Amino acid sequence: MTTKLSVFCALTLLLAACRPAAQNIVPKQLRFAIPGDPPTFDPLVVNESNAGAIRDLTSGYLLRIDRVTDEPQPDLAESWQVKDGGRAIAFHLLKDLKFSDGSPLTADQVAQTLRRLATDAATTVGDAFREAHPEVSVSSPLDLEVHFRTSVPRLERLFDQFAIAPAKPAKLPGTAGPFFIAEFQPGAFVLLARNPNYWKRPLPRLDSIRIDIQSSHEIELTRFLRGEFQVIDRLEPDFFERIVRNQPGAARDLGASLDSEFLWFNQSDAKTLPDFKRAWFRSATFRHAISAAIHREDIISVVYKGHAHAAAGPISSANHAWFNTALQPLATDPQAALKSLEAEGFALRDKVLRDGTGHPVEFTLITNAGNTARETMLKLIKADLAKIGIDVKTVALDGRSLGTRIGRTLDYEAALQGFSNTDPDPVNEMNVWLSSKDMHFWRPNQPVPDTGWEKRIDELEDKQATEPSREARRKALDEFQQIVRDQEPVIYLVNPDYLVAISPLVKGMQPGVAPPQLWRSVEQISF
Amino acid sequence: MIRIRRAAILLLVAIALSGLFAGKLAPYPYDRQDRQAIDAPPDSKFVMGTDDVGRDRFSRLLWATGVSALLAPAAALCSIAIALMVSSLTALGRPALNYSIDGFTTICLSLPWIFLFIILRSELPLGTGAAAVIATTFGLMGVAGWPVPARVFTASIAEIRQSGWLMQARAAGISAPRIAIRYAWPHLRSLAMAQFYILIPAYVLAEASLGLLGLGVPDPIPSWGNLLVDLQHPDIVRANPWVLAPLGLLIIVMICLEILAPQKEVAL
Amino acid sequence: MKVRGKLMRGLAGAVLNLVPVVLIGGFLSAALVRYSPGFDVDENDWNPQISAATRAALHAERESENHLPSFYLNYLRAALHGNFGKSDHYKLPVSELLADRAGATLELVITGTLSGLLFGGVLAWFAVWPRRTILAVAAAGVSGLLLAIPPAVLALEFFQRDAWVEMALALAVVPRVFGSMRAILTEFAASSALLAARARGLGAFALAMRYVFRPALPRLATLAGVALVLAFGLAIPVESLCDVNGVGNLAWHAATARDLPLLCGLALIITSIVAVVQSLASLAGEPTTNP
Repeated sequence: MTTKLSVFCALTLLLAACRPAAQNIVPKQLRFAIPGDPPTFDPLVVNESNAGAIRDLTSGYLLRIDRVTDEPQPDLAESWQVKDGGRAIAFHLLKDLKFSDGSPLTADQVAQTLRRLATDAATTVGDAFREAHPEVSVSSPLDLEVHFRTSVPRLERLFDQFAIAPAKPAKLPGTAGPFFIAEFQPGAFVLLARNPNYWKRPLPRLDSIRIDIQSSHEIELTRFLRGEFQVIDRLEPDFFERIVRNQPGAARDLGASLDSEFLWFNQSDAKTLPDFKRAWFRSATFRHAISAAIHREDIISVVYKGHAHAAAGPISSANHAWFNTALQPLATDPQAALKSLEAEGFALRDKVLRDGTGHPVEFTLITNAGNTARETMLKLIKADLAKIGIDVKTVALDGRSLGTRIGRTLDYEAALQGFSNTDPDPVNEMNVWLSSKDMHFWRPNQPVPDTGWEKRIDELEDKQATEPSREARRKALDEFQQIVRDQEPVIYLVNPDYLVAISPLVKGMQPGVAPPQLWRSVEQISF
Repeated sequence: MIRIRRAAILLLVAIALSGLFAGKLAPYPYDRQDRQAIDAPPDSKFVMGTDDVGRDRFSRLLWATGVSALLAPAAALCSIAIALMVSSLTALGRPALNYSIDGFTTICLSLPWIFLFIILRSELPLGTGAAAVIATTFGLMGVAGWPVPARVFTASIAEIRQSGWLMQARAAGISAPRIAIRYAWPHLRSLAMAQFYILIPAYVLAEASLGLLGLGVPDPIPSWGNLLVDLQHPDIVRANPWVLAPLGLLIIVMICLEILAPQKEVAL
Repeated sequence: MKVRGKLMRGLAGAVLNLVPVVLIGGFLSAALVRYSPGFDVDENDWNPQISAATRAALHAERESENHLPSFYLNYLRAALHGNFGKSDHYKLPVSELLADRAGATLELVITGTLSGLLFGGVLAWFAVWPRRTILAVAAAGVSGLLLAIPPAVLALEFFQRDAWVEMALALAVVPRVFGSMRAILTEFAASSALLAARARGLGAFALAMRYVFRPALPRLATLAGVALVLAFGLAIPVESLCDVNGVGNLAWHAATARDLPLLCGLALIITSIVAVVQSLASLAGEPTTNP
């Protein structure tokens, strides 16, 4: 071998050997991963889960709604008073509050946050606040009032939706919560350090939290099993089972989540939809038949490995505050489905179901490519509907192409999707159920509701949004859920379980299915 | 060596025939689900076990062989043909033309082709039949895959243009087509075969990635590519090593093709 | 002198070719992104807690990207001053994102390419030089095996075993250069000059260096250029699956997010790199005799 060749080989090996040192475990530091970079640290524009995770760990709020009791609890505000029949609210802050950067957190800073929310349309968390037309006034360093044009039902809830942010914009802004953002390396990690000015001092118990950016769930699992991570949030069923096999003490099934998986038919006036198909999709009998033919128990056992519950309607059974307990999940009965279709003029001949005009019943069903659970559900649904003579062409599309078809062009026939509910209060889904809204995805932007039941749902949604009495709200929501069940514009399939992995070394974590799921008492977490 | 080559040919023929006659050889239809046997290990009923919705892996492997063994080489052939056509223009020896081809090839190498695939999927009606989607996918891969082989061919053609034997042939008055086919092509043939072999597994695997865009071979039709997606989950492989079967077949095919590749250049 | 002049002309031609290639390549890439479905859709469109007015305001922030020609012109103007815009997805300057990640990708790609060329060359050598059937078959077998294994899966296995991911990329490059290297070596090994030198009793190493490696250098240089471009393409799934914080991973996320400013910057830089690498490889492979 020539000298040159040897040198070249050595250089190659040297380059290859220049790897980052193995990451050491830091005492009193919790480590977990999020799948992507948080696009922002500004708590007022957070609208996705990665940034949401950072916000949950770092933010301070005026008050917080306890997700279990549904009652407001003080946070930065020591007390408050709703005045004038819900047209105003006065807050009295705790004394000596500071942001993590040492700047004072007084009524003026709170007022600046509220004014920004009131005027800046880019602050996505302030929608409901903005629509109430607030005016903020400061009477002392610890006192401020917010006045609204009209009475706002359940006024305190508005202030649980946004954190108080410092007025000065910064790359790594100061925070009022238990931790602050100490370091951010895009694509690598976010390091949160204990907030020395946290109002619940000497908490938090942890010194720091390191959040790695890890898009591969396979690698995240490997690192958890190696002890590099102590927590995995939202595990897929396959990975959950692997943790059960390898570290049974770490795997936790928290029961049915607030999330739901569902499918619906395009009932809009889209030109790409043939009239005869539109007629099928607008028939409640047709939708019920499809719903009855789908084997939900198989979806639970095959897709979710038993870690899911059959859905009974638009609100998950895990939502104890608002779920209509009279509803039961639909039983699978393909024979009954076929009979009801035959009563509507459909006929099964040579294993092909045809409508009254002779058209074979077939449609395309689209969902997100890369979502293993939904792609497997497509396979099961296709096979289930084939048993009653319906040919389903399944297509998995990339997320944005899917969004274009469903939300813009309406060029689709049926779609399989899911919601990750970030808030148990059903008022947050109003935009889906009001027939005039663009998010009324099966038939959006109706100037006037086309059916009696959609008109009734509009009325019930308005009522539950404005009704101060909890009992009256409950009654309206029960009726709403029953109508959705009777008409099935959306066929609810399952509520997946909330699956997490928590190392037995971690103490003080109180995970729950209601947000903020794992971080309810983050300041109490320790090793 | 002759015996080894014969064995390689026999193996390839056996694999091709098993794919062609999958309908007769497979014990089950490729889309039949047995929901009581999800991810089942191999047994007397399912010799290679079942997949995530209880479909027989062995049956799906046979059908997948018919799909991938035919279409991936066809797409590779298409890329090689286009690459040869484009690079052969450089044999004319016109600098401006050569620079244009060079630039065009560089642009094609740098474009994010994934978006062309996404646009293609959006133009295809959702109800487009599986055959049309598959043909479109492999066709587009064939059309998009020419720049890299073209680079290799262009360099070789430049070398050939300077060679002494070609100058002698031109001086002797032999026509350009005859020079190209009789004298130049044997020099390019082994390079073309090498590039052809490289493209086959690349297209098998790329087809699986295109599944993320709604293209590729649509479910429930199996292909080696979509069967190999499970390799990204080591736990599934450990639980059922037969998941590696399509990879094993692909390896055997590639080894056989490498063995059959023409080794010698024609002596002048 | 004639060779030097030819080289200077080649260099000048390459530089002149570079500018329109980069500009056209950048524009076409931007056009593919801009006119792909889903460009004007984002996660907020599926959030029922966000009102239509807020969603419209958020979409309005990307209004300038809707008219591609003016967007591209303004982008180029800013790029000439080193400003590659701000990523829609990461909300950070594109130049900062690229600078942070270039190192990881360069390390992965260069190490992978060089190692792949070295191993591929050694494998091709064993297939050709000793002239033994068993070695030729074995080399072909190794190449076929490596060709069939998905590079990303190879990288994942390496990662899981704490081995060098760069070597996984190298093993992915090997079969992609083996065939061409074998063809090149076969041609030169059968040349009359080498046969004559062997007859004169020249040693194996001197034969290899003088009559194979040196004359084959131009074509090997071209192959190296091709291998580098191939390696970058292979690096994208490797970085995605193994979470290497490199440009490939960035490109993948930018593509799924239809991040036009970031993708424009990537397109301009990648086209430039490919053009430069290809030009250098072509120049290195430029014949030194006149026709």
